[in-house]
Amino acid sequence: MWWYVGKRLLQTIPVFLGATLILFILLQLRPGDPILNLAGNKPVSPEVRDALAAQYHLDDPLFVQWIQFVKSSITLDFGDTFSGQPVFDLIKQTFPVTVVLAIMALAIDAILGITLGTIAGLRRNGWFDSSVLVVSLALLSIPIFVVGFVMQLVFGVKLGWVEPTVGPDWNVGKLLLPAIVLAIANFAYTIRLTRTSVAENLGADHVRTARAKGLSNRLVVRNHVLRNSLVPVITYIGINLGSLMAGAVITETIFNIPGVGNAAYTAIQKGETSTVVAIVTFMVMVYVLMSLLVDLLYAVLDPRIRYV
Amino acid sequence: MSETRPGQERFVAPIDETPLRAIDAVNVDAVPENQWKEAWKRLRTSPLFWLATTILVVIALMIFFPTLFTSADPKKLDLADSFEPARKGHPFGFTEQGGDVWARTVYGARASVAVGVFTTILVALLGIVTGAIAGFYGGIVDTLLSRFSDIFFSIPLLLACIVVISVLNNTFPDRGFWGSVLVVVAALATFAWPQITRQMRGAVLEIKNLEFVDAATAIGASKMRNLRRHIVPNALAPVIVASTISLGVFIVAESSLSFLGLGFPSSIVSWGNDISAAQTQVRSGDNLQVMFVPAAALAITVLGFILLGEAVREALDPKARKK
Repeated sequence: MWWYVGKRLLQTIPVFLGATLILFILLQLRPGDPILNLAGNKPVSPEVRDALAAQYHLDDPLFVQWIQFVKSSITLDFGDTFSGQPVFDLIKQTFPVTVVLAIMALAIDAILGITLGTIAGLRRNGWFDSSVLVVSLALLSIPIFVVGFVMQLVFGVKLGWVEPTVGPDWNVGKLLLPAIVLAIANFAYTIRLTRTSVAENLGADHVRTARAKGLSNRLVVRNHVLRNSLVPVITYIGINLGSLMAGAVITETIFNIPGVGNAAYTAIQKGETSTVVAIVTFMVMVYVLMSLLVDLLYAVLDPRIRYV
Repeated sequence: MSETRPGQERFVAPIDETPLRAIDAVNVDAVPENQWKEAWKRLRTSPLFWLATTILVVIALMIFFPTLFTSADPKKLDLADSFEPARKGHPFGFTEQGGDVWARTVYGARASVAVGVFTTILVALLGIVTGAIAGFYGGIVDTLLSRFSDIFFSIPLLLACIVVISVLNNTFPDRGFWGSVLVVVAALATFAWPQITRQMRGAVLEIKNLEFVDAATAIGASKMRNLRRHIVPNALAPVIVASTISLGVFIVAESSLSFLGLGFPSSIVSWGNDISAAQTQVRSGDNLQVMFVPAAALAITVLGFILLGEAVREALDPKARKK
């Protein structure tokens, strides 16, 4: 077990360095003089230029600048937005609502996806299975922002059950509809994965043994089929955090939620590339950390993993 | 011979009087079937496959012969027509800018499908080559390639594209149709290939130790020949299925990027742009066709590719064959 944990931790380091290197290179590809950018594109005196260059390590070789970039990313120093606010302050203000939204979406995805997927898998090729399959295929083919607009229109504008947009005073109730929209993006995959996994396990030897022992169908499904089927599903849901964060950019924009995704969208609209890169760097860091946690959890859940 | 042995209690017909239908029916001269031919046989009888093909043929016609579907000019914008309802020759009315909704949807197929097709080709090529090398050679090559692909895998696809395209937007603000396609394709492909690599690597690892590969080695096949003729063709099936489905995913991703203002420049007619431009209408609930017509076209196209992938998966799956 500890061998696996150590190995997995070591693997994270090159991945993190590589990811920051890619983001750093992209940042370098920005057109224009970074010093002029910093000074708001006004001409600067040589003294100011030297001071800025020293402050941001702009005269150092690129390699040193990259190390600096990694260092400041780890210490959560992402520089300033164009209006002078530190990017990390912006993230601190906006991140909590995104976390709440993501957790709600994950919960909806897991509960609905696993329930429907299990029923479909147990009654394979029945009418329920077929309709779940059709709905999940349809959901896969509609972009999440179209789903978002439709939900907003139906439940927000036409029926008036919820407020169409969230706005700065958010609460869990207001986030419910956006969370459903965000969950729908992954929901179809969760259903299909659970369904295949359950159907496969139904025919497994240990399930037949459990039935032969005379266990009730309920117990067989709960203790023998589900427990084994859920391992890949849980990993999948964990991995999906990445697409969840990308989805958050879109969902938060549609529903005007003051989250980190909305902040990224605003920065894109204003052409503040450095702020966009900083926010994405932060999101990638969260994602890499979360995948590490999920993998370790996976090793706890499934003993086979530890010995590979 | 008069002694009765166990098993001879009953009359047993001599062997030449016993027709062994199953064995006699085997045509020893027949050319061995390969899995693709067999898969094609099953595909031909699959309604799913024909549904998908019909959808994709219609979309292909839209791309190559748009004039079959509409005679209006998609780029003609007349503010006097803003949100005009449908009239003769313009079955779905007009956009806010006064463009013909249906004509723009028909011509918009090009950009969206081009992104999907080219990204998929690039991703599949990269993924198949790297995955096959990693799986076949193993050892340090495998470790290096796997860790390298992990790096690209660690950045969520859409987030990566957001960064790449916001940078490139500033670097190349003016680019034509193909330039824009290239930027989106490059951004998507750079971060999407590791998924196919992983899949291919897994398949190659599984196949390279099977007996038929040993048999090929025994009759003198070289390593390269084994890889090219025996391992890769057998590992391709799951990759082809995944690629077909991901083609749809890339089309959706492009539209999401357009929604964020990072897909195609607004001068280019594309589904993503049109859906994105129509979003103000949805809030008020009027003129919904402006959004739903391009959105439906996009969803149906993506569904076509996903259904094709499903049909091919069923045709190639040996487990489904037995039923």
